[in-house]
Amino acid sequence: MNNCIKKTTKTSILILVLVLCFLPMLPGLSGLLLAAFAINPRLNQFHGSLSGFEQLAQFPGISQSILMTLNVSIISTFLSVLISFVILRRWYQSKHWQKIENAIAPILALPHVAFAIGFAFLFTPSGFISRLSTELFEFALFTDVQIIKHQLGLIIGLTLKEVPFILFMSIALLKQLNIKQSLQCAQSLGFSQQQAWLKVIFPQWLPKMRFSIIAIMAYSLSVVDVSLIIGPSIPSTLPVMIWSWLNESNLDTHLMAASGALVLALLCVLLVYTVIFVEWLIVKKCTSWQFSGRKTLTGCKGISLFTRLSKASLAGLGSLGLISVLLASSLSLIMIIVWSFSKRWPYPHILPSNWSLQFWQSELPYLFDTFVTSIGLAMLSATIALLLVLVLLEVNNRNNISHKVRLVIPMILIVTPIIAPQLSLLLGIQLAAIYIGAEHFYLWVLWSHVFFVFPYIYLSLDGPWRSFDQGFNKVGLSLGKSAWTVWWTIKIPLLLPAIVISMAVGISVSLAQFLPTLMLGAGRIATITTEAVALSSGQDRRVMAIYALLQTITPLFFFAVALFIAKKTGPLESRTPFSFKKQLKQHKHKRTKHEARSI
Amino acid sequence: MKNLMEQKMLKKVILKIAIATVFVSTSSFSLAQDTTTISKNLDWPRIEKQAKGQTVYFYAWGGSQQINNYLRWADKQLQQQFDVRLQHVKVDDISTAISRLLAEKAAGKVTGGTIDMLWINGENFKNMKQNQLITQPFAQQLPSWQFVNKDFPVDNDFTEPTEGLEAPWGIGQLIFIHDKKRTPTPPTSMKQLLTFAQQNPNKFSYPQPPSFHGTSFLKTALLELVEDPALLYQAVDEKTFVKTTQPLWQYLDQLHPLSWQQGKQFPTSSAHTMQLLDDGELDLAISFNPNEVSSAQSNGTLAETTDSYAMENGALSNIHFLSIPFNANAKQGALVAINFLLSPEAQSKKGDLSQWGDPSVLKTQYITGSAANTKLFKSVAEPHPSWQAALEQAWQQRYGH
Repeated sequence: MNNCIKKTTKTSILILVLVLCFLPMLPGLSGLLLAAFAINPRLNQFHGSLSGFEQLAQFPGISQSILMTLNVSIISTFLSVLISFVILRRWYQSKHWQKIENAIAPILALPHVAFAIGFAFLFTPSGFISRLSTELFEFALFTDVQIIKHQLGLIIGLTLKEVPFILFMSIALLKQLNIKQSLQCAQSLGFSQQQAWLKVIFPQWLPKMRFSIIAIMAYSLSVVDVSLIIGPSIPSTLPVMIWSWLNESNLDTHLMAASGALVLALLCVLLVYTVIFVEWLIVKKCTSWQFSGRKTLTGCKGISLFTRLSKASLAGLGSLGLISVLLASSLSLIMIIVWSFSKRWPYPHILPSNWSLQFWQSELPYLFDTFVTSIGLAMLSATIALLLVLVLLEVNNRNNISHKVRLVIPMILIVTPIIAPQLSLLLGIQLAAIYIGAEHFYLWVLWSHVFFVFPYIYLSLDGPWRSFDQGFNKVGLSLGKSAWTVWWTIKIPLLLPAIVISMAVGISVSLAQFLPTLMLGAGRIATITTEAVALSSGQDRRVMAIYALLQTITPLFFFAVALFIAKKTGPLESRTPFSFKKQLKQHKHKRTKHEARSI
Repeated sequence: MKNLMEQKMLKKVILKIAIATVFVSTSSFSLAQDTTTISKNLDWPRIEKQAKGQTVYFYAWGGSQQINNYLRWADKQLQQQFDVRLQHVKVDDISTAISRLLAEKAAGKVTGGTIDMLWINGENFKNMKQNQLITQPFAQQLPSWQFVNKDFPVDNDFTEPTEGLEAPWGIGQLIFIHDKKRTPTPPTSMKQLLTFAQQNPNKFSYPQPPSFHGTSFLKTALLELVEDPALLYQAVDEKTFVKTTQPLWQYLDQLHPLSWQQGKQFPTSSAHTMQLLDDGELDLAISFNPNEVSSAQSNGTLAETTDSYAMENGALSNIHFLSIPFNANAKQGALVAINFLLSPEAQSKKGDLSQWGDPSVLKTQYITGSAANTKLFKSVAEPHPSWQAALEQAWQQRYGH
């Protein structure tokens, strides 16, 4: 009887999770499909047609645009992963890592749009760097070489913004991998540290970063706001084109937009599988590079000039990448701060000619409510999503203690909210919401936030969950503890760094939601982001700067807290010591542990 | 027991949502008659009484802090004087509101809609009217209608008759902004503009069509260059379109290589041209607010030496409007709000040159303060709306890739 109740509880919880996380896809995806094939109940059109795709194919510049969009997405994703790995390899075990880790939170908290505004102001022909060079060398930069409003700028900007994300997601993961032991082992076999990273750590790291890589790939493929600010406009990228078609009140262009959105979603699916395929190729299929003895010994004569050169350039790329990430982000942030306090900052002044607190003063009285709404919504939706993810991970896990309920949810379903164009999903969801009762604005907005936050939390916990050593469970259970006690007192504390980091990511994702908040909240719910986006269409750098700063400060707080907790928790060997005494203690502890292991 | 109930509830919810999904996919909407129609003669005291305590959700572009601040002021006044809250829902494009209304209409939601009032004109109005998203004429019945200057074309919107479905709010005129110090004699015709671009390469551009301001620039240029401007006030004739617009494309072919970024990129909006003017990258900016310069100067976005002017032939002019959707929840509140926004007090405040500076639609004797000094240029009427899409399409074909 007891068991039966347990089972029903489990099933109903699971159904609840599925309903909350996947149900909105039904109206979302069917809405997208219907719209793309010109089936529109609003206009009494029930015969499907391909006219949207025909219009799309005939749209001038569409093929260039699609190629460019793919280009930007693939190159920026590849560069982000490469640079992140080189940075990890070069610095993860160095004494500077702590500093780098501390710098990641503020960089990550800087929203994409805020970064783009600052980045654009740095690199336009009349921007800060050009002004500086004119003042110092009487030579204006970027007049011939165009970075802003060019795909080059978009690639650079996105890469610089995604590298910190990959690094951040690696922090929790690397704690789960036994980096130190692996390296020691590899080095004792004669591999240099660099080779050990490449041949031992990389094949473990890459599969666990899969979701993060897919997330940045999907983001760079479908980004609108950043692309509007620093991307090219003739032709613009596909998502920007779709966005502009949707912004026309002519319903014919909406049809083209829906078809375009479907094409974009298909491209995204294609790229997702490309990422998985490439990973499989590197890690599983062509594995000879992992253990082939060739080019392993550092002093070996067989090292070709090419390898040496590429090694040097990779090391250089790591340093260059790290420096540009740090520099570009901090300078962008400084630009935004200065703009928020300036009244006039005309060309060619290096500093504002008129400072003013006017804009802060006029905004402050209206900010408190917005702040409370944004944070409340973010914390609530991230908490709900986290609970759902935990349930799903436990049920979904192949190594589950009880094998009674196991359900493998295809990955593509989980990442759909990330990869499908948000706007098209939302059009369908909004329609469904109106049928059921759109007046429960808070409920709908909360649900939509959970829906979009869920995959991010899932993907950031999936890696750590999979790399969790099941031995701990076995030991706990064999000592007579209940499954629940083992889970709560052993597994959760060990995975706490990953959990708090995923919470921070979830909160920041919720804070950044614009379309769901606006479309399902019908303007009843104003967050910092809805205000910021609405204002950004007016191009007033000063007011934009204020909201961009507020958009930065809120997630920054949560990221900082998460990193702090992550450092103080988790497996003992990866905790940061509080003091010298503790360090000694830990050292001793580590030694005994090592000894225990070697025995 | 609890479990069972939970499951039942779940089933219910799932069923409800599933039904809704199917409904979404297959429904056709019925045009139910609205019960709360606005009668021909408004019983105004009754409306004011019913409006008390209502919150009006006003969907309007939220990109300008001056406009947002003006609406904050209006909200305060409405609360004090009429006990009506005006909640500005800031959108980056008003089409968001229109697609929301379409969705509500598709769902058969004929009352209790989420949008009470919106700010529109041109294409958007035409589309709303066509899709019957505004159904009740109200403008002429408003008490403030008496102040409106009927010499302005307030009863048509881009040649589309308004039929009282929207009330005029302000006037837009396509003007150019220059810096008197840098460019003392700016070009005042398209021919002069080309010579100007030859002498000052990389210093002129216009917002990229299909942005509102960009297409308006194309219309202005075409109106000057075309042999017979009367053609533009009729619907586009596909047979003669290429021949009629040929001078425009020839002109742009010459202008673009001399433009900012060699015509390979264009500014995104009017605000962007102003930013670029201030950054020294452009010599001319484009705006639809004839008082933009005084407003921008006191706000700090433009230098004190900037000034606005119109082309010799006149400035392309139109009116922007306020309207109430078919299913508005706070209809009375919206009527009170619109009536207030059309009052001499609110219109004078709106025209305040140090604030928004939007020209009033009222007769001049009702306007006080700096708004009375508003600048209006010789006006050129908007062409037939069909030219908008046709020009945008042809531009995209030639220059958009």
